[in-house]
Amino acid sequence: MEKFAVYVPKLITKKENFAPGHRACIGCGEALAVRLACKALGDDVIITNATGCIEIISSQLPYTSWRLPWMHTLFENTAAVASGIEAGLKAMTRKGRGLAVEAKVVAMAGDGGTSDIGLQALSGALERGHDFLFLCFDNEAYMNTGIQRSSATPYGASTTTSPAGKVSIGQFAWKKNVPAIVVAHNAPYVATACPSYPFDLMDKVKKGLETNGPAYVHILSVCPTGWRCLPELSVRIGRLAVETGIFPLYEVESGRYKLSFDFPKLRPIDDYLKSQGRFKHLSPDEIKKIQTRVTEEYQKLKEIAARS
Amino acid sequence: MIKLTIDGKKVAAEEGGTILDAANQAGIRIPTLCSHESLRPAGACRVCTVEIATNGAKSLTTACDYPVEAGLKVSTTSEKVMEARRLAVELLLAQRPHSSKLQELARKLGVKQPRFVLAEQECILCQLCVRTCQEIVDVEAITFVAQGKDRGVAEPTVVHSLDKCIGCDACAYVCPTESITVTDIGDTRTINTPSGKLEFKLKQCQVCGKYWAPEKQLDYIIEKWHLEPELFATCPDCRD
Repeated sequence: MEKFAVYVPKLITKKENFAPGHRACIGCGEALAVRLACKALGDDVIITNATGCIEIISSQLPYTSWRLPWMHTLFENTAAVASGIEAGLKAMTRKGRGLAVEAKVVAMAGDGGTSDIGLQALSGALERGHDFLFLCFDNEAYMNTGIQRSSATPYGASTTTSPAGKVSIGQFAWKKNVPAIVVAHNAPYVATACPSYPFDLMDKVKKGLETNGPAYVHILSVCPTGWRCLPELSVRIGRLAVETGIFPLYEVESGRYKLSFDFPKLRPIDDYLKSQGRFKHLSPDEIKKIQTRVTEEYQKLKEIAARS
Repeated sequence: MIKLTIDGKKVAAEEGGTILDAANQAGIRIPTLCSHESLRPAGACRVCTVEIATNGAKSLTTACDYPVEAGLKVSTTSEKVMEARRLAVELLLAQRPHSSKLQELARKLGVKQPRFVLAEQECILCQLCVRTCQEIVDVEAITFVAQGKDRGVAEPTVVHSLDKCIGCDACAYVCPTESITVTDIGDTRTINTPSGKLEFKLKQCQVCGKYWAPEKQLDYIIEKWHLEPELFATCPDCRD
């Protein structure tokens, strides 16, 4: 999907449903991802948005960046509120009092609102099979409250609640694999995306929206503030995450895995780690450990994709 | 601003705009297939059919290319409109029954199995690729044949010209029925079109060795914008 480089951008809609003028940091990968996602979503959606960076930066009273029906929910109940809206729309349509347009429900949350606090509501909504799309914008920590670790923070990253020092290497656990958890719920469409691959991201969001039943797209969003990297490298770091294999892009349609990009040879993980201050304390041994794990996981993913 | 009525709702539209623009702005959705906001309207697919009334005379027309007029009365949901749209989609679906986009349109309009003979054709002649190649890429590599006086002789079809095509793949992106597809394998890009296969050699990045863009496309860009060829020796990921 990422072949479309030169002329296709001119064919992307010029309508911005996520308006400029919001308060995201410079180089925010998440704001970029939301903007692209909104282009793919179109006009006929209702969005529920968990507490998190996106909610904070886009809705400071009396301003809003949303040109779509949008609702702020709590950290823990985004998917539950989305389920309620979906069920409500269904009931209203049945009674002949539905909307004039066929609206879809989209839930948006950060990694905290997805993999930690919102996980049980997400699991419930997936299990009940509501027709909705869940977008997780993963910047790998609680960024808007001051870079606290979440279960999506990768191994070795230094955050304010997992600081690197003499006795600690930073985050001690491996990143939680939320897409795999969603796949285990038998969701019809699961994908991973990154705004550094814009057409791939838009395509996946669109596919998720059109899916009948629950769909989930996990979007890696580079955070220059929390990752301690240069804001102008935001897009490149996203590409490095994919090219080194630490965040592979794939789709799972009805349980069948398909790699979106398959590189004959992965870049060394060092390329990705050295670009960010949160990893700068890592010793060569730790980097080797991460490299082994990444290679192993990527190999596993390739095998699953080859089997299905 | 021009004032008109759409489905009984008074709507103000900009002069020079189309009924489709005005309806969209008023929150009234008209289904479309061959319409694209970045391209000039073609009125080819007839899916956006609406009923207009000027001076009491009613007629059917396409919303995508009909300019708004003061006092125009438009109906987007009358029985006549829905019938015309259903017929248009039914005919298109009979030409390409496996297209997911057409199936979705059919579902929304309540079209079930087409009554016509299903004849899997490569192309539904929506002209999106032709317009994209002309207006966006500015190459004009895709043209129609067998239009006008030749119509009775040959089946109308779109034809890619290998001489002009730069292998950019914008046509594959815009095609609603997946009639044009692109695959990159090794150092070759293959564009499968209704009129045959086109092959392009891909350029290799000097640093990472990845094949990243068709050489012909890069040559075209270098020539058109007077750029240094060295700029494209490396892929965007390896450039500083």
